[in-house]
Amino acid sequence: MRGWARGAARLLVLLALSMPGAAAAQAPPSLAAELSVRRVEVTTAFAGGEILVFGATERLIGPGGDQVVVLASGPPGSLVVRQKVEAMGFWINGPAARFNGVPSFWALAATSPVEELLAPPDRAELRLGLDVLPVVHLGARGTQFRDALTTLKQEAGLWVDQVRPIEVTGGRLFHARLPLPSTVQTGSYPVQVLLIRQGRVVARQELSLQVQRVGTAAQIADIAQDQPVLYGLVCILLAALAGWLGSVLFRRG
Amino acid sequence: MQVYLPIAEMSVDALLLLGIGLGVGFLSGLFGVGGGFLLTPLLILIGIPSAVAVGSGANQTLGASVSGLLAQWRRGNVDVRMGMVLLAGGFAGSVVGVQLFAWLRRAGQVDLAVSIFYVVVLGTVGALMVRESVGAILDRRRARPARLHEHLWIHGLPFKVRFRRSRLYISVLPPFGIGFAIGVLSAVMGVGGGFMLVPAMIYLLGMPTSVVIGTSLFQVVFVTANVTFLQAVQVGSVDIVLTLLLLAGGVAGAQFGAAMGTKLRGEETRALLGALVLSVAGALLWDMLRVPEQLFVIGPAR
Repeated sequence: MRGWARGAARLLVLLALSMPGAAAAQAPPSLAAELSVRRVEVTTAFAGGEILVFGATERLIGPGGDQVVVLASGPPGSLVVRQKVEAMGFWINGPAARFNGVPSFWALAATSPVEELLAPPDRAELRLGLDVLPVVHLGARGTQFRDALTTLKQEAGLWVDQVRPIEVTGGRLFHARLPLPSTVQTGSYPVQVLLIRQGRVVARQELSLQVQRVGTAAQIADIAQDQPVLYGLVCILLAALAGWLGSVLFRRG
Repeated sequence: MQVYLPIAEMSVDALLLLGIGLGVGFLSGLFGVGGGFLLTPLLILIGIPSAVAVGSGANQTLGASVSGLLAQWRRGNVDVRMGMVLLAGGFAGSVVGVQLFAWLRRAGQVDLAVSIFYVVVLGTVGALMVRESVGAILDRRRARPARLHEHLWIHGLPFKVRFRRSRLYISVLPPFGIGFAIGVLSAVMGVGGGFMLVPAMIYLLGMPTSVVIGTSLFQVVFVTANVTFLQAVQVGSVDIVLTLLLLAGGVAGAQFGAAMGTKLRGEETRALLGALVLSVAGALLWDMLRVPEQLFVIGPAR
């Protein structure tokens, strides 16, 4: 909440500067948006968080007027979707499809359903929808793999398709909350804010969020990756030490 | 209380991990098995990625086994000479087992092979133990004199060595062979192998149950240290935060288990372990036979 308040104050300054009286010749921006935090810190106590995007439009938001769309995505990667099949009474791994360029996180929010705001070709070009995500499909064919990928990602809370609309206050201020589950990958998360007027994108703003491990969690992950031999030995020693400590403590007790 | 696991890249309830550690540690101390065959499926069940579950499970088993081993050591229940022979066989076996695992992976269906391995090995071991130990308990009730141990063809082999703690004078070949076979199986199944080692030492070598538990833990400590190291270096899947949380519960559980073990008779301990192993085999078999809730699964691309 503190981040929200601080951000709102920053935004007010931004708006005040862009007021007609303040800068006589400059036209006011049709869209101004900001993130409440630019960095999500993954500590050992991290249990998920949210991306809070807020901003203001020049004109009124609403049906027939301006509309706002927010899209956030996480670092892409490769995944395998396996289908289970029955063979002689046993359920075993059957055909598998590989997907490349799959966003590890993807969240969309809008003031009205995006499908109503944009024509299908525009929506596909802007990649605003799980059905128009450009992922590379290899291996076993069939739409069921792509459907399963979408369902499983949504169940894990990693793909969020317009679950909550963007909230509008006073006709021109908006804010969107996109939930980040604790399983999010670290990396750079581009956040796009689009202003749509009469089926066309009239303004856009590109923001960026960093999801970073910090503190002990970061140190452990770094050592495990950079010094695997040392890390393996430390794991063995720590586990043995914990075992020894336990046996000593309980003998006394 | 949620805690973020840096290698698994997710947060879990710390109390849940402490509880799992306590339960598995208790069984580990009571039966002298590492508990890997219980822990790894449990971790996967609560949503830990399977590679991290195997790597951290082995690391946790190491700590719990050290705790159990020290408790048994103080009671003089460890036959170091026997442990060394088993260990030599185990290392040779695990080298072969890793090759077998790689071959199974190339042939596809490694998951199915591992599941079938689990069901067959656990089912056989569990059924044999329950049958024998229930028989022994019934014999005791009828007050029949029990033999110390049976003399089999195994006792006629060359290279005889005296294992004083085990009260045996037998060839080194059977323990080496048992260690080797279990090394192969534990590399394929990703477990320490204690649950196979305990019955093998009792029924094939004729060691007294009290010594078996300590000696098994001795072997498990070294096998899991090896697995932890290999997993950390080759796969990078050992999560030390997960391990230490499990251990906090596990070391306490192992001490209670070891104390409880001294109150039970050998055949009762064996019957309980047999029943446990058998029920895990049953659960795994059921898991393979029932219609899965999700017909599709997402996995990392290799």
